[in-house]
Amino acid sequence: MSRPFPYTYISCPCVERPVSDPSRKKETSPRKGSSQPAPEINDNDDEEEEKDFDPRSPRANFSLYPPEQLLYCEDCHQIKCPRCITEEIVCWYCPSCLFETPSSMVRSEGNRCARNCFSCPICTAPLAVSTLENVSGSGSQQGPWVLSCGYCMWTTLDIGIKFDKPTNIRNQLSKMTESSRGRQMSRAYGDLKSPLSPLATAYSTVDGPEVPPDDGKPPADEDPAVLGPDARFAALKAFYRNQLSETSASPNDPLGTDFGAGFSSPGALNRIMSLYTSSTLSGLYGGNSKKSKPKPLMMREAQTASEGLKLAASDAEDTIIQRMASDDCGWEGLASSEQRVFQFPEARFVEDLLPLPTLLRTKRSKRCKSCKHILVKPEFKPQSTRFRIRLIALSYIPLTTIRPLAVSPSSGVTSSTTLLAAPTPDLNALQPLQPIQILLTLKNHMFDPVRVTLGTPSVTPGAVATKVTILCPQFDIGANSDVWDEALQASNPADQRSSRSGLTGGYEKVAEAGKVWDKGRNWTTVVLEVVPGLLERKTGTLNTKEKKDEEDAKDARHARDATSDGGWSDSDENETTPPPGHGLGLETQSSPAPAQPDEDVLEIPVFVRMEWDSENQMEQPVAKGKPEMVKRELAYWMVLGVGRIEY
Amino acid sequence: MATAPTAAAIDGKYSATSGSNIRSNLRHSQQRPPNTPHTPQHSRGISSFASTSSQGSLRNDEDAIIFEIGSRWLRAGFEGDSTPMCSVGFGPEESRRVGDYRGWARNNSSQAEEKTRQEPVDPDFWASPYELWRMDLRDMDLGLVEDRIERAFRETYNKYLLTDAGTSRLVLVLPSLMPHPLLSSVLSTLFSRWRFPSITLLPGAAMATAAAGLRAALVVDIGWAETTVTGVYEYREIAIKRSTRGMRSLTTAMGRFLSRLARKDNNEAQEGQPAALEAISVDFEYCEDVVNRFAWCRPCGHDEESTGQDEEEPSDPRLVSKKIVSIPSPSTPGLNYIELPFGSLAEPVEQALFAQGLADCVLDDQEKPLHVVVYNTLLALPPDIRGTCMSRIIFVGGGAHIPGIRRRTIQEVQALVDQYGWSPVRGKVVDEQLRKLQDLRLSKQPPPAAQQPEPTHEEKAEEQDFVEQKLRRNNRDKDLKPFVHGMLRDVESLGAWAGASLVTALKVRGLVEIEREKYVQHGLAGASRDLDTHVPDRRSGLRAGDRSSWTLAGWG
Repeated sequence: MSRPFPYTYISCPCVERPVSDPSRKKETSPRKGSSQPAPEINDNDDEEEEKDFDPRSPRANFSLYPPEQLLYCEDCHQIKCPRCITEEIVCWYCPSCLFETPSSMVRSEGNRCARNCFSCPICTAPLAVSTLENVSGSGSQQGPWVLSCGYCMWTTLDIGIKFDKPTNIRNQLSKMTESSRGRQMSRAYGDLKSPLSPLATAYSTVDGPEVPPDDGKPPADEDPAVLGPDARFAALKAFYRNQLSETSASPNDPLGTDFGAGFSSPGALNRIMSLYTSSTLSGLYGGNSKKSKPKPLMMREAQTASEGLKLAASDAEDTIIQRMASDDCGWEGLASSEQRVFQFPEARFVEDLLPLPTLLRTKRSKRCKSCKHILVKPEFKPQSTRFRIRLIALSYIPLTTIRPLAVSPSSGVTSSTTLLAAPTPDLNALQPLQPIQILLTLKNHMFDPVRVTLGTPSVTPGAVATKVTILCPQFDIGANSDVWDEALQASNPADQRSSRSGLTGGYEKVAEAGKVWDKGRNWTTVVLEVVPGLLERKTGTLNTKEKKDEEDAKDARHARDATSDGGWSDSDENETTPPPGHGLGLETQSSPAPAQPDEDVLEIPVFVRMEWDSENQMEQPVAKGKPEMVKRELAYWMVLGVGRIEY
Repeated sequence: MATAPTAAAIDGKYSATSGSNIRSNLRHSQQRPPNTPHTPQHSRGISSFASTSSQGSLRNDEDAIIFEIGSRWLRAGFEGDSTPMCSVGFGPEESRRVGDYRGWARNNSSQAEEKTRQEPVDPDFWASPYELWRMDLRDMDLGLVEDRIERAFRETYNKYLLTDAGTSRLVLVLPSLMPHPLLSSVLSTLFSRWRFPSITLLPGAAMATAAAGLRAALVVDIGWAETTVTGVYEYREIAIKRSTRGMRSLTTAMGRFLSRLARKDNNEAQEGQPAALEAISVDFEYCEDVVNRFAWCRPCGHDEESTGQDEEEPSDPRLVSKKIVSIPSPSTPGLNYIELPFGSLAEPVEQALFAQGLADCVLDDQEKPLHVVVYNTLLALPPDIRGTCMSRIIFVGGGAHIPGIRRRTIQEVQALVDQYGWSPVRGKVVDEQLRKLQDLRLSKQPPPAAQQPEPTHEEKAEEQDFVEQKLRRNNRDKDLKPFVHGMLRDVESLGAWAGASLVTALKVRGLVEIEREKYVQHGLAGASRDLDTHVPDRRSGLRAGDRSSWTLAGWG
C-alpha cells in the first residue's frame, strides 16, 4: 500500500444502494425505479449484516475512501463520497498562473490556459519562457523567445519554434502550428471564410461567374496529406453543411428519410408544407419516383481534399517506417504512449510533439445528490483556499486511529528491562500466526456522546485468513465538549495520561475482553486481537482464479488449525519459533513474491455503527427552550490497514 | 446571408470572445451561408420551437458532449471539436483506491515491485486489468464495470471537460454490437448518477465513415479485443465480420516475443513447462509502449521475393528490416538497452494480425487474419455495394496507427482477389473444373479468378457512368470527379469520435436517442422493437419531444 501503515479507509454506504437498473428492477418488483432516496438506516443494517465487506474485492477500490475525503450531509445524515454528490463549477483557473478564466472563455480556449503556461510534451514539467541570448546577442530582452523545460532541457527550438514576443505565447504558437501543419490549412480556412470560394460555388447551381474555382484545387488533390486534422474537420463540416443546404432544396428526397432525416433537409418550412401535400412516409419507399420531382438532389460524398477527403498516400507509411528505422530516431525519437495522449493523433515522433497549454482547473461546489443540500462551497477566488461551507465527514464520524500495542512478555516475567525493550511490532513485517494487539482509538468530534458498536468478521476475507477479535465491541465515546470542561471535570488527568501509554506505575495493563482499554474526554480506545494468517507461497507461476480459491480455502484451514493450538493467549516466546503448521507453506515455495499484489497486506474490515441523540435542529428551529432530541444512527464499513504480513 | 445575423446571435456567447480564441473560430466561422438564397438552414434559429431562445442559453442549445467508449480507452470532448479533449485509459492505476498514490511512486519503488513484474503471467490475465470490459460477460462483474465507468466519467468531467456533468446532452459512440446487460449497465450508471436529459447512441463504424467524408465505406476497426470489418452503405451497416485478431492479440504476441528475449537475456532455460514458455514476464505498459513505438508491418510478399507486389523499392523493406534498433531491455527496462533487428519487431504484427505462417484451414472462424476478414466482408456485400466499399476502405482503431498495416492489408486483399476473384468456393475440384472450362474456352481469358469480377465491373461501370452522366448533367456539377469504385483504395478518416462530433454539430439527430424519463421508467426494456417508427426529425417543426417510443435501432 502506498499509504504508510497503519491507515484507515471508510467505505461509503452508497455501495449498498447499487445503480438502479430499471429493466432489472422491473422484473423483480413493479415499483418505480427512479433514483430512490436513501433507505432508512435500519434497513441498511439488515442488509449489511448479511454480507461482510470484502476490502479485497475489486469493487471495494471504488467505494473506499480515506476518511478525510468524505463529506457528510446534514440533511440525509449520511456519509457522502464523491460518488454520491453532484458538483457545480464555481470558477476556472490556471493552476500555474492562477489567473481566473471567465466561464464564457473556457470552452473557446479549449479548457487550457490561454496565456504563457505550457507543459513540456516530453516530461510534462512546466515550461518557462526564456530568451535566446546567443541568437539575439546585444539586446538582452529583445531576442527571440523559446519555451524551455527546466527538467528535461527540452526547448521549443527542438521542434524549430521561436517566439517573437514573450507574451501571448499560445496565440503565437497556434498560428505557427496552423501554418506549419500545412500550407493547405490556411488556404482551406481562407476558402471557407470567403463566400465566393470554390467550395461554395462548385455546387451552387446557377451563378458564380467570378469564381476562381480551379486554381486551388489541383494542388489540393496532389497534396492532400497536408491538411491538418483541424482543417480537415472544418472542411468536412463545411462540406456537409453545404450538402445539407443543397439537398434541402428538394423537400423530401429519398435519402433524407433514410438516415434520420437530419442529413438531408434542414428546409423545415418546406417540410411543414409537404406535411399537408404529401405524406413523408410514402416518399420513403420508392414513392418518390412517381411524383415528378424536378431534381432529386442527392447528398454526395466528399471528393476532393478541400472537402475533407483524404486518401492515404501510398508512400506515407513507407516514409514513416524508414524514419522509425533510421539511426537518428531510435527509441527516444519515438513518442511514448503517454506523450501521445494529448497530441494530435498523427504525432508519432518526438519532433511532432507540441508544448501543451496547461489544463485549467476548477473549483467546484458540491451538493448532496439526493437532497441537493450544499456540502462544499469554496471561495470564488482562485487564490483563496478557504471554503464558505465545508461539511467534512470527519467532524461527524469518529476519527479512527490505530496503533500497535507494544509487544509485551507475559505478565509474570515483567521487569523494567524487558519493558523498555518491548518492541513495537514492525507493521511492515508482521509475523504470521503471532498475535498482536492493536489499539483502536475512536475520537468523537460531535457535541453529543456517541454509542459505538463495532463488528468484524472473525476471519478476514481474502487469501490470507487472519483472525480478528475485538475485545470490547460496544462502548461509548464522550461528547466533544469544551476542553476546559474536561479540565474542570476530570479528576486526575495525569493518571489518564499515563494509562494511555499502556502501563501505570509499575504494573502492566492487560487487555481484557469486554473492557475498554482506555477512555478520555471524547475518545475511547479498545483493543483488537489480531492473529495474522499464514501467507501461502505459490507453487506454480501462473495465478489463475481456481488456484486462488483453492488457496483461500486452504489458508483458512491453516489459520484455524494454527490458532487453535498456537493461540495468542499462551504464546510466550514471540520472536523466533514459528508456530506449528508454519512449515507447510514453506516447502512448496518457488517464488518469493505473493501472486496477488498486496495479498500480504493485512486489512481488517470493521463495521461501525454509531448511535447518538441530537437536537432536531433541521425540522424545528429553536421554538421551545429545550430542543427536541432525535435519535440518530450511522453505520458504515471501515477498513483498517494494519500492516504487511511477512512471508 | 439571411442567416448570418441569426448565427451570430445564437453564438453571441462565442463570437463575443472570438478575438483571441482558437477553437471557437474553428467551430463557428464555418456557419457561412450558402451563396444562393435559401431557407435558413440553421435550424436552431427558426425551425425548432423548443430552441427558439436564440440566446444559446437553453439546455438544448448547449453543446452536446461526446464520449467514445471502447474496452481500453474513453475519449471525450465537445461537439464540433475536431479532436477529443482527452482520452483516458482504463488501467490498474485508474482502479486504485482514492488516496493510493502507488502509481506515482513507481520510480523509487523498491525492488519488490520489480520482482512482481517479472513473474510470468498467463497471457489472459496479463492484459485484463487494463480492459474496461470484455464482450464475454460470463465472468465479468458488471458492478465493477459500472464503478469504473462512473469514475472515468466523473474524472473526465472534472479534469478535462470542465463543465458540470449531466447538464447537457450526452452522445455515446459505441461499438455497434454490445451485449444488452452491458449497454444497460452503462446507461443505468449514467442516468442514475447524473441528470443527463438524454443520451444518444451512435455506431462507431458509421461515424468513422462520416468523418472520412464518405457515405459508404468499409470500416476496418483494428480494435483492442477484436477487429471488426463493417461494410457501411449510406451510413448503414450492411455487413459485419469480426476476428479476434486485434490489438490485444498483437500486444500479447509482442509480450511473448519480449519475454522470450528476456529469458534469453537471463539465460533462463525453462524448457520443462510449456505454460511457462508461453507466459509473459514483461510489464504490460512497457510492452504496449514497444508496440506503440516500434511495431510495424512489412509490405506483402516481402519474404517471398517471387510474389513481389510491384513495390516501389523492393529492396528497401528488406534493407530496413535488417537495420538494428535498440529498445529498452525487456528484463530490465529501466536500465539497459538491447539491440535487435528492426525486422523482428514486425514479426509479432504479422503473426498476430495476418496469421503469417498459418494455413487458412487451421484457423477458426473467429480468428481469421485481417485480410481474410476484409475479403470476406466484401464478399458478403452485394456487388454494387462491394464495388463502392472496396474503394473506400477506412482503417480506424489502435491498430491503424501501426505503419505498414494498411498497405499490407490492401495488398493481401488484392492478392486474394487476384487469386480467387469474388467467389467463396475454393478447393481442388473447383480449380480443376475451372481449368477444364478454361481449356474448353477458346478465347484467351485471364485466369479464372479475374473473370468473375470483371464483367460485373464493366457492366456496373457502364451503368453507373450512364447514371452519373445524367446526374451530373442535372446537377451541373462539372467539377465532380467520377465516382470511384471497383478498386481497392484506402481513405483516411478522422475517427469515430470526430465523426460523432461532426454529425452532432450538424444537429443531425441520431436514431437512438434515449430520454431520461423513458429510460428511468422501463430501462432498456422500454425500447420499442418496432423499427418502423417514424424517425424523428430534429430539424423539422415536428419537435420530437413528445415521442412516445424510442428504439435501440441496431443495438436492439
